[in-house]
Amino acid sequence: MSLLELRDLSVHYRGARGEVAAVRSVSLGLEAGQTLGLAGESGCGKSTVAMSVLRLLPRNARVEGQVLLDGEDVQGMSWGRLRTVRWAAASVVFQGAMHALNPVHRVGDQIAEPMRLHGVSGSVSDLLGQVELPARAARAYPHELSGGQKQRVMIAMALACAPRLVIADEPTTALDVVVQAQVLDVLKRLVSERGIGLVMISHDLSVLASTCDRLAVMRYGQIVEEGPAREVIASPTHPHTQALAAAFPTVGDPASRQVTAEDAADGPVLLRAEGVRVDYGATKAVAGVDLEVRAGEIVALVGQSGSGKTTLARTLLGLQRPTAGRVLFEGTELPRSSSGLRAYRRQVQLVLQDPTSALNPRHSVYEAVAEGLRIHRIEGDEPTLVAEALSHAELRPPELFFPSLPHELSGGQRQRVVIAGALALGPRLLIADEPVASLDASVRGEILALLLRLRRELGLAALVITHDLGLAWTIADRVAVMYQGELVEQGTVEQVLLSPRHDYTRTLLAAVPQDQRSTRPNWTSSP
Amino acid sequence: MTTIAWQRRRATVRATWREFASQRGGLVGLIGLAVITVLAVLAPLVTDASGLDVTRATAAPWRPPSAEYWLGTDHNGRSVLLLTWWGTRISLVVGLAATVLSVLIGTVVGIAAAHFGGWVSAVLMRFTDFFLVLPSLVLAIALSTVLPRGLGTIVLAIGVTSWPATARLVRAQTLAVEARPFIERARALGGGHGHVIGRHVLPAVLPLVFVNTTLTVASAIVLESTLSFLGLGDPTRVSWGSLLHAANMHGAVSQRAWWFLVPPGLGVVCVVLAFTLCGRALETVLNPRLKGER
Repeated sequence: MSLLELRDLSVHYRGARGEVAAVRSVSLGLEAGQTLGLAGESGCGKSTVAMSVLRLLPRNARVEGQVLLDGEDVQGMSWGRLRTVRWAAASVVFQGAMHALNPVHRVGDQIAEPMRLHGVSGSVSDLLGQVELPARAARAYPHELSGGQKQRVMIAMALACAPRLVIADEPTTALDVVVQAQVLDVLKRLVSERGIGLVMISHDLSVLASTCDRLAVMRYGQIVEEGPAREVIASPTHPHTQALAAAFPTVGDPASRQVTAEDAADGPVLLRAEGVRVDYGATKAVAGVDLEVRAGEIVALVGQSGSGKTTLARTLLGLQRPTAGRVLFEGTELPRSSSGLRAYRRQVQLVLQDPTSALNPRHSVYEAVAEGLRIHRIEGDEPTLVAEALSHAELRPPELFFPSLPHELSGGQRQRVVIAGALALGPRLLIADEPVASLDASVRGEILALLLRLRRELGLAALVITHDLGLAWTIADRVAVMYQGELVEQGTVEQVLLSPRHDYTRTLLAAVPQDQRSTRPNWTSSP
Repeated sequence: MTTIAWQRRRATVRATWREFASQRGGLVGLIGLAVITVLAVLAPLVTDASGLDVTRATAAPWRPPSAEYWLGTDHNGRSVLLLTWWGTRISLVVGLAATVLSVLIGTVVGIAAAHFGGWVSAVLMRFTDFFLVLPSLVLAIALSTVLPRGLGTIVLAIGVTSWPATARLVRAQTLAVEARPFIERARALGGGHGHVIGRHVLPAVLPLVFVNTTLTVASAIVLESTLSFLGLGDPTRVSWGSLLHAANMHGAVSQRAWWFLVPPGLGVVCVVLAFTLCGRALETVLNPRLKGER
């Protein structure tokens, strides 16, 4: 008998516009000691599948088919039986540990809560030990812990009643690569040591590839491909799986590198930072950075969150004044007057991480793109200029998008609108802060391709800030690695990513989940 | 291209109206307000202002309601119906003018404090706190005692004492809006303070200000009546507060002249209720989260 079996599961949500099918005839099975990966983009129904296992779906959900937990149908359970099963037989590691923990209780009490409710005896410090946290962490409040520690607390909480099944919903999405690797290791070890079954949900195939035995890829509520993880990743048959796999390129894989030799830029230096330091009170956000971006060059600035990447970007844009050092654009220092800075904005533009919040929800696409034109009172026919910018950002035909509001567009289209708004000013450098981090996997590739095409056609240089080394490998000419406010390593992509010299770069590279598609270059042996 | 924007704005207004009209309370309030406003505007056309003049009063004082004087007469023999009718004008004008003044100060202070931050915010907010802790009635009384008597003084006294709540509200909303990344984008596009405030902050804050206005009008009218009742109003004009003041001064209670006391009081209640109903309904339309609680 399987630990978990889904038979022909369908879930519909009743909404204002009738019923929407979230999950359609999904059948899956999981044995104890196995890990099943559930991959797919946002809105594909993967979280709904996970929540249906413990009947945690909202009231407006209508469920068909069977969810068998140890052979018992969850749908038919009485309320009391369901309460016993929840957490004691199966538990969930929720998405976003920042919000799933109660900020006013100590984490130890929160871990103990399910044990108390179920009358199970156990030790919080044992549980903390299993997720490699010191016992004194139990006394801490959530805000005193880092993201990775909080996620481990969530895992400890899920293990509290020794369940046989754990469902992890995007357990590492908000985490850094280094921390992600640690959390994944903890999960892998727990599966092998305790023989629990793990259902792991992620949009990131490389995460699943490194942890799962079997993999199911979902799209539009259906499973489009299922099989042993190794096979699915190595030779995906469904085009959607191929798109997902391509969105998370492997560092060192020549096939996923989209920069060719003829792209090599040796133009004049456009932007130069000299000894830039930014202090916020006592904290040093940026501690002396020298960086160059040449005309027509794409530079990737890589680092963990909190490494000062975004502060550096804001300083380069003149949105933040450096405490020391200077920023030069074409050899002249950034102006300090507001009119001088305004003129500078026509040269250097910003693309923000989350296009949903970067667009004013009340402004139409036309207004969003025309905003810069109006600020700078650019001569020319406004609708023509807006249409031009939109078609450069591959929103065609542009007139069709003029009246749309941001919420009517997809994530990728919104990011294109943001890019179009920047392009309308005819800048020579784009500073893109995690431009694809909040986008779906299949859209990522398109946006990156757009950046490359803009470079080829308009000679647009870009400084791309990212935590994703795969992204740097795909599109960058040069890579700068930032760690605790300093650039620890800088050089061409091949130099830095294939033969890193600094320890931190090696740590970052080692933390990238490995899949079995390509052989990694043996960079650890290089000096 | 502005036509697209205008079409959309018209559509938004239509949608807001439909939503508003679906709430019975708000509709009742709006109709009540419309009726009261029309009556106030038409007063000089329909009635004879000379009836307000004490020297031309023909009827006997303290007459109970009759066919000739529907609401009786006051201590001077003037028609209470006429007085109450004309009193509507002053109460509405003072209420609206004082509200406009108060909301204007509150919005400017609130947005400036949130937008500029730093010492500007510190100074402005301490200033706001100062007005917030002073009992507004006492301050208004003090102001209208010191300043020359008149309509302007009453408006000023009410306006200057009732803005701090608006300022706090607007500041909170502005801070929330300014934390959104699209403000950062506007800055990166080269937008200055004027652009950020005018294009992004104001449109997001205005609905809240609007709701706040309708609710402030109600309290401004009450405050006006209070000040006039205390004898601090413009003695040359009839308002509901000054009517109550006169009734009190000339012993309407000992005369058992209920018809002199009730109409102005009911007038205040009706207008305040109408504004509050409208404000609540508007609040529900603009902030859908409030809907579930009813």
